[in-house]
Amino acid sequence: MTELPVKESSGSKKNSVLVLGAGIAGIQASLDLAEMGVAVHLIEETPTIGGRMPQLDKTFPTNDCSMCILAPKMSECVRHPLITLHIMSNLKEISGTPGDFTCRVIERAKYVDPVKCVSCGLCEEKCPVKIEDEFDVGLRKTKAISRYFLQSIPSEYTINKEHCLYLTKGVCKLCEKVCPTGAINYEDTDREIELNVGAVILATGIDPFDPIGFGQFGYHRYSNVVTSLEFERMLSASGPYGGHIEKASDGKPPKRLAFIQCVGSRDESIDRNYCSSACCMFAIKQSIIAKEHSKELEATIFYMDIRAFGKDFDKYYDKAENQYGVQFKRSKIADIKELPDGSLELKYTFENGDIQHETFDMVVLSIGLQPRMGSRELSEDLDIRLNRFGFCKSDTFHPLKTSREGVFVCGAMNSPKDIPESVVSASGAVAGAVSLLELERYDPSVSEEEEEKEKDVTGERPRVGVFVCHCGINIAGVVDVKNVAEFAKGLQNVEHSEDVMYACSTDCLETIKQRIEEHDLNRVVVAACTPRTHEPLFRDTISEAGLNPYLFEMANIRDQCSWAHMNEPEMATEKSKDLVEMGVGKARGLVPLSRLPIDIDPEALIVGGGLSGMTAALAIGDAGHDVYLIEREDVLGGNMRDIFFNFSGSDPQEFLAETIEKVENHDRIRVLLDSTIEDITGFVGNFRTVFKNVAGELEELTHGAVIVATGGNEHETSEYLYGSSSRIVTQKEFERMLHEGKFPAGKLREVVMVQCVGSREEGRMYCSRICCSKAVKNALELRKRKARANIYFAYRDIRTYGFAEEYYSELRDGGALFFRYTLENKPKVEKIRPDDPDSRIRVTVFDPVLEKDVVIDADLLVLATAIDAPEQNLELAKMLKVPLNSDGLFLEAHVKLRPVDFATEGIFVCGLAHCPKDMSESLAQAKAAGSRALTFLKKKSILAEGTIAEVRTDRCSGCGYCEEVCAYTAIEIDPEECVAVINDALCKGCGACVASCRCGALDLRGFTNQQLFSVFDSLEIEASEGI
Amino acid sequence: MKTEFTPRITSFLCKWCSYTGADLAGTARLQYPASIIPIQVMCSSRVDPVFLIKAFLSGSDGVLIGGCHPGDCHYETGNYHARRRFAIVKSVFESLGLESDRLKLSWISASEGPKFARVANEYTEEIMKLGENPTRKSIFL
Amino acid sequence: MSSITIDTSASRKVRDLLKYLIENGKIDAALTMRKIPENNSYDLGLITDASNLDEAVPLIPVMTVNAGHVLSSISTSGKKIAAVLKPCELRAFVELVKREQGSFENLLTISHTCGGVFPLDLVVAEKIEELLPKYEKTVSNGEVPANTRDTCRACEHFIPMNADITVSVAGECESGKGCVMYLNSEKAEEFTEGFAGERGELKFDPSVLKKTLDARLAEKDKLFASMTTNGPGLDRLLDTFGKCVGCHGCNSVCPICYCLLCDFESANFDYNLPYFEEHLSRKGALRLPPDTIFFHLGRLTHMSFSCVGCGMCSDVCPVGIPVAAIFKKTGEKTAALFDYVSGRDVEEPIPVMVYKEEEFPDIG
Repeated sequence: MTELPVKESSGSKKNSVLVLGAGIAGIQASLDLAEMGVAVHLIEETPTIGGRMPQLDKTFPTNDCSMCILAPKMSECVRHPLITLHIMSNLKEISGTPGDFTCRVIERAKYVDPVKCVSCGLCEEKCPVKIEDEFDVGLRKTKAISRYFLQSIPSEYTINKEHCLYLTKGVCKLCEKVCPTGAINYEDTDREIELNVGAVILATGIDPFDPIGFGQFGYHRYSNVVTSLEFERMLSASGPYGGHIEKASDGKPPKRLAFIQCVGSRDESIDRNYCSSACCMFAIKQSIIAKEHSKELEATIFYMDIRAFGKDFDKYYDKAENQYGVQFKRSKIADIKELPDGSLELKYTFENGDIQHETFDMVVLSIGLQPRMGSRELSEDLDIRLNRFGFCKSDTFHPLKTSREGVFVCGAMNSPKDIPESVVSASGAVAGAVSLLELERYDPSVSEEEEEKEKDVTGERPRVGVFVCHCGINIAGVVDVKNVAEFAKGLQNVEHSEDVMYACSTDCLETIKQRIEEHDLNRVVVAACTPRTHEPLFRDTISEAGLNPYLFEMANIRDQCSWAHMNEPEMATEKSKDLVEMGVGKARGLVPLSRLPIDIDPEALIVGGGLSGMTAALAIGDAGHDVYLIEREDVLGGNMRDIFFNFSGSDPQEFLAETIEKVENHDRIRVLLDSTIEDITGFVGNFRTVFKNVAGELEELTHGAVIVATGGNEHETSEYLYGSSSRIVTQKEFERMLHEGKFPAGKLREVVMVQCVGSREEGRMYCSRICCSKAVKNALELRKRKARANIYFAYRDIRTYGFAEEYYSELRDGGALFFRYTLENKPKVEKIRPDDPDSRIRVTVFDPVLEKDVVIDADLLVLATAIDAPEQNLELAKMLKVPLNSDGLFLEAHVKLRPVDFATEGIFVCGLAHCPKDMSESLAQAKAAGSRALTFLKKKSILAEGTIAEVRTDRCSGCGYCEEVCAYTAIEIDPEECVAVINDALCKGCGACVASCRCGALDLRGFTNQQLFSVFDSLEIEASEGI
Repeated sequence: MKTEFTPRITSFLCKWCSYTGADLAGTARLQYPASIIPIQVMCSSRVDPVFLIKAFLSGSDGVLIGGCHPGDCHYETGNYHARRRFAIVKSVFESLGLESDRLKLSWISASEGPKFARVANEYTEEIMKLGENPTRKSIFL
Repeated sequence: MSSITIDTSASRKVRDLLKYLIENGKIDAALTMRKIPENNSYDLGLITDASNLDEAVPLIPVMTVNAGHVLSSISTSGKKIAAVLKPCELRAFVELVKREQGSFENLLTISHTCGGVFPLDLVVAEKIEELLPKYEKTVSNGEVPANTRDTCRACEHFIPMNADITVSVAGECESGKGCVMYLNSEKAEEFTEGFAGERGELKFDPSVLKKTLDARLAEKDKLFASMTTNGPGLDRLLDTFGKCVGCHGCNSVCPICYCLLCDFESANFDYNLPYFEEHLSRKGALRLPPDTIFFHLGRLTHMSFSCVGCGMCSDVCPVGIPVAAIFKKTGEKTAALFDYVSGRDVEEPIPVMVYKEEEFPDIG
């Protein structure tokens, strides 16, 4: 590749970052960076951004539609002026030093000019070469010229050079012939570019494990054995089967469905002794969705442990089992046989050795996650280290750093992660990257100069210009475009109307600007494709011609007309007229809107001085912002003060001491110990907090953002005789014992650990997530100190997800005994000498393998107690007007894509306050919260939406309907005036309040009641003649 | 001259899910009748109950609201409010003997292009059976 | 909670109580029905001088205005007020308080089991006094008096739901027990302290009014079955509302229509010449003022679930549209969607302000 000429060299190392991989992690990282004013180069190997998420139908545990939540982020990403997208590109080399890198990137040839391509699809239709569709995992065919998937962004087509007949054999050129815009360019070549950036973020994601080597599961041999990813595509409404689950053998829907867990995970024999973390939930989700598709369907999940360790996951698991009737069978699959009718006979063994046979119509292999193809080459090119499983290497205390300084990692590239964890790590990695840049606060509001350029149209009679697009033959092939344009001329207030070949082409945009000038137009309607993709472009265009961008309206006569009514050209033409008339009707009532700036205070308040709070404080402080770190206790560190070991062997207390020292000596961080918050008022950028300081006096702070890092508490249990003997301790106490070497007197031979004390049962229907790993860790430490100690685990599911699995195996292989118990049959505990406070403990636990009770006289009983949400959360939540979930944990704005934000802007959450998590996860989330806060703090002001609600106070009765329905606390009733007041900074413009208003006192700018009414008026229908 | 009844269905589609789903139906070239007249709104919760009534009285043979599935609302809770409001309008129609089948709410996600086309087809058929909205003929409403 | 047994007529006892409250400085004003001595008619009076209470007829079956409606503007004045309210007036006020249009803070509510009220045209014709003896007898017998408002005859909520003081009248007064004032709140105990009357521990027993309830429900079925809007199709609706002259009287007397200015009178419905032109170009004719049916359908969706069935709207309609009956029937259905009963409890959220994640599985 060295012979390629360097075509482009751009970027400033001081304020730019390269992000590799445009999956959800890469997109999130890019957006966070760009919002801080950083120029981003987003490098993506495939022809589209989006990564794995577009392949998913629904997401757990909310059954959110994956595309619905992702699509807005994708378009935001591609439209952001500070994000430069390089699709079909690879990062080849990073040279230089942190803060001053030069990156060599190869942009592969696309053979289609993206500027000319209008994504009409004619080329794909005519292309004779059928190839397997990668996006639909081979379940359908695509062509050698194609779009990666229907909702690809960018939407332009690309040619697959391995399969294109012309590029491989020199014949065909059909696409060139049919392309209406001359976009095909067979001469296109790979290009090499050099980018100067301050930091690099890697987010190359994961691939699904390929189970083809697994003979016994019959994948590819038996037609009704599919992978979970294939099954996901089947479930997807936009998938190859339109959301119908079909058996490949006969095309009929399956009645009995089996899921086999841990295919390619937790398997030492293939050197994959790690847990892929997401597959249990993935299978539960698929079983629920499949049952929603068909009520009669029966689903069975075969598993070793159900690892539903995330927030609200156990509730979802419970719902699957008890509400949907999904069967869960803890067993090992011994064999799968295909029967003559295509159904599959599963032979499986239960833990007690019982063997069973059962027949299913379809088997779904829950395949694990593995590093993305080509990771090893990439690691060599970029000089970063991988761990033994091929994931990018990072360490416990620096979970987002690679082995190379200045190169950060996020998403599932360094360990299997689900979507929210990927998003968290992406925002977290951004915090690291920006610490190497030199960023100034910037002002995104429109300069006064620009404002003055805008034509004042107030009071003018509407003069509407209509442009009807042919889109080559995409529209004109069905709709009589000229007729529509002619029709528009006759509409009220239409000053000018014409048909154009490609409304979005550069020359046509010029034409529109000219017409605005010539005809003194003050409203523009374009009838073409969909406003979702093209409205911004046209708004910019009329803005360049001096019109306020909101004086624009679009009529969708392609995606929702010509393409959908190809066989009814007359009707499509009539409908196009209607749509144009409606558009003109609405345009008539449009008024100029502006996005008002809201000043942002640059300081941040962080509530809670544990590891999370301190880490967030450092992220913000290091970026040059003042931070107030407020802590109730008289010491920093929180729960971290009780952690002494971790799997990697490094010392948590040393890390804590370093962190505290950094925080205390940071010139940007003011630590407020022994202080409690009395009141918080205000909104994004403008918060005011009153707190009681160490001296008991009230002090006031002003700040632009709030981060909630209030932590969690160890559950105080009274179960298992806790408190009655010095030999019954919690894991936390045990860890300190190990650290201090102070054990109960006498020998320490028999040690019993009981898991899930207080977790996953009535009153606390959640998994505390870290207890399994913590118990395993402590057990291994115990073994180091007392090699002869016998260790017994009473557990429900062992949830050592991710790379902790290895340590679980180590413990197990080392002879520790594991007994699974159920809620109905918990371990029984008694003191051998009831009156002795130091009595040994008799533990009776049922062994499901031997099917009998096992009695252990323990020298020590260690309880893995749950993590509780602090009660004070409620008070803080009220002050901040943010919600808690039913477990008292803070409830984020969106469990998938906004895991550290609250719906109310400017407030963020991290650490145990959000849900139980381990040290690395808390560190990542704390950095993420810091980053998210910086996306606001780095701006001198933010712009309110243009299309927001407004109140006509003279009509408002102050009834409070609107206040109640607003999801963003953007409306409050002024108690003095008894009228609704809208906070422009918080309003998102959904209009829920407007439609709730009984008095007509509310309206939504840009979508006013009057505008919508005039749309109906344009629609008013006469009776058809002849009836 | 039109001699055959061509239904017209005023369709309020939320920008984030149903409108995107409708676009997807087009992109996939799924065919459905031209009776569906889309109006993009930011959220299904923007649809004031009086919009439904107004559209009905203005002669729409059917009125459709398309919103994100429950739990999926881009604005957190908008569709829950939309659902309650819709239930009220529908109930009022039923109480007064108006054809409440001329009002429909459907959850269509951004990836449910096929569902959009299906809803469009099925609903149009249903409306064809109901026939022309009598409000079209009535002048003195 | 205690009770006070009434040795005189219930109406007189309530008047005495109001007097006692004013004279002892426990309240600043009393809100009660009053007989106008000058013209032998009735009105709702806000009275601060005890001597003016001689004309008070607190339990007269007449409603010139829904008192809940009136209270909304005076309950937040800071003055302590005792208000005698019919059950539907109290319910209306509860609905208004939910909408921040009033407050119970300085209010003592006195309500009574209600036999229904006479339509205003009978009041105007000065026939009330002749009708009263028969009315009282019928009510005492647990029957439904003729001549009262149709929605009163069909009203099953004739027992006050959350008054501080409940006075039993309908069906019970003459049934041997004597009339009783039931004190339902601390506030009631506090205010009536020192007021003459035999104290007891009687509890109000709604089951004694079972007969009344059954009779009312039968009346309701009859009313709903006979409505002109019944039956499918647009035509009946046109017949019924086609008479509407667009005066918006129904909305202005409605206690639930709390808006400063009705949406239907707002700029959203401000029609101008281009609008008319456009419509005329399509339809060739246009009704003026337009949107009559739209107005009623709109009001029905806006507030029918909160309708208390007081009947004011029908009473003021100049063209005799049975607005109240239509609202009552429609409102019962819309309220039932949410198990809502208007005015039942001030803490019960208004259905359109809240939601449940899982409900209406048939929608969508």
